[in-house]
Amino acid sequence: MSLIAEFPPNFVHADRIDDHDPPPAWLVALVKRARGLLLPVLLAGLWHWASTIDASTAYAFVPLDQIGDRLLLLLSSGELAVNAGSSLGRALTGLALGGLSGIVLGSLMAGFPMVERLFGPLLQAFRQVPLLGWLPLVGLWLGSGEGAKQLLVAVAAFHPLLLNSYEGFAQAEKKHLEVGRVLMLSRWRTFRFILLPTALPSILTGIGQALAFAWISTIGVELLFGTGAGLGSLMHTAQMAGDMGVVVLCVVAIGLMGYGLNLILSLVRARLLRWRVTG
Amino acid sequence: MNAIIDPRSVQADSAPHTGGLAIRHVDKSFDIDGRKLSVLEDVSLTIAPGQFVSIVGASGCGKSTLLRLIAGLERQNRGDILLDGVPVAGPGLDRGLIFQDHRLFPWLTVEQNVLLALSNSDEAAADKRVRVASLLTLVGLDGFAQAFPHQLSGGMAQRAAIARALAPEPQVLLLDEPLGALDALTRLRLQSELQRIWLTRRSTMIMVTHDVDEALFLGDVIVVMQPGRIARILHVPAPHPRDRADPSLAPLKAEILSLLHAG
Ligand SMILES: Nc1ncnc2c1ncn2[C@@H]1O[C@H](COP(=O)(O)OP(=O)(O)O)[C@@H](O)[C@H]1O
Ligand SMILES: [Mg+2]
Repeated sequence: MSLIAEFPPNFVHADRIDDHDPPPAWLVALVKRARGLLLPVLLAGLWHWASTIDASTAYAFVPLDQIGDRLLLLLSSGELAVNAGSSLGRALTGLALGGLSGIVLGSLMAGFPMVERLFGPLLQAFRQVPLLGWLPLVGLWLGSGEGAKQLLVAVAAFHPLLLNSYEGFAQAEKKHLEVGRVLMLSRWRTFRFILLPTALPSILTGIGQALAFAWISTIGVELLFGTGAGLGSLMHTAQMAGDMGVVVLCVVAIGLMGYGLNLILSLVRARLLRWRVTG
Repeated sequence: MNAIIDPRSVQADSAPHTGGLAIRHVDKSFDIDGRKLSVLEDVSLTIAPGQFVSIVGASGCGKSTLLRLIAGLERQNRGDILLDGVPVAGPGLDRGLIFQDHRLFPWLTVEQNVLLALSNSDEAAADKRVRVASLLTLVGLDGFAQAFPHQLSGGMAQRAAIARALAPEPQVLLLDEPLGALDALTRLRLQSELQRIWLTRRSTMIMVTHDVDEALFLGDVIVVMQPGRIARILHVPAPHPRDRADPSLAPLKAEILSLLHAG
């Protein structure tokens, strides 16, 4: 019934619509909300089915009840919270450090051709090196401790914000800047009330990308270094111990947290850009 | 006789003493790919404090450029522009400019847009807000302080732009086809409002328009431009507030139209 309701009326013969009462509004709302859960539940079902075939598939696809046990254990010991918190902190710190440098440099490059000529070529080349390519050098300089991880995450967050804020600030419109001149706005107010709002949509897009990169690379460096706290390290240790239940839980936690971060950002974005026509 | 019905004459004692402009032998050209495009040649014009001047002329004849020179957004190649005897050397809060497109900042509410125009004033924030509220009342935007520009109609947005330009209390208000993008009815209403605001404020106003009726309804003086130069300066004797059907306007209109066609 809800399917029929979704088709434009001319898709369905009129007599067939008349035959049915429309579904209650709460049911439609519930179905709409639950649709996103359909595939995950289906996957879990398939997973469960695979885990029951034989012993070898049961190792690759850990039975759901076993995963549930591990979850309770990780929750009660606080291990999940500590490691998730550690990864989150690392990603957000990296985002703040790398992202802010990207925004500052991007705005300077857009505002001052001098800075653009000075930094442009270097940063272009710098961007060609994939994150993993820095690993040996960073390991040599900073070892495999917190500093090295943090630096790599910051680098991952730096580039998207450099590019997007450069683009955003370069969009400043002459017609708005002229109003600023007529109103005798100070340099600071010109930045705060004209340049920054112009760049904001781009910057927020950049923050979205940087957030994703920071989160992915946080898990990546934790997996690679395998030391200290963090979901990646937890996963690494569990994998060494053959504890596939924990590995699966880590994957799910990483996915859910990334999803949640994105959700929060899109709410912030909608609030900050509510002045746009669609708002 | 006129003195009795003309509020400007009634208030002659309080006639403004500032906001007088002297434009003397001004040339302006632009460099386009190394070639010189002459836009204004030897333009001279004297505007008394508190006058309403309408500028009409075919598009491309240099009207906007003249306003932008007075606003200080452009610099003339030759000649002088004096405001109350002082050469214009750049933008200043003694001159306000209203563009055809309202140019409100879309990311600020109406109130914030007008407040920004007061950012050089050292009044307390609360006083500024009171001032903004009374400006919004003046332009008929009560109740729209918290609206974003995209929520306003074209006429309302232009009203907000007028409030923003009036906020620093400029002695000279420059209006570059401010009503050009509006529908006919809104135009008529805003013309009357502009007249009312001008009569309340008594600052000098210089308005570019391509609507001869609008020029005649508002202007004490009509400046008719032909490409690069001023073709004629006409004085409108009819009193303010002005009757659109005032019989003295018809011959002036005919003269202006013939000048525009000749140019
Ligand atoms: N910044 C500029 N650079 C080059 N040419 C310009 C510039 N501003 C105006 N012009 C030219 O000067 C002429 C007059 O323009 P303008 O003053 O805008 O005319 P109007 O307002 O009377 O329509 C036009 O030919 C226009 O192309
Ligand atoms: Mg123009």
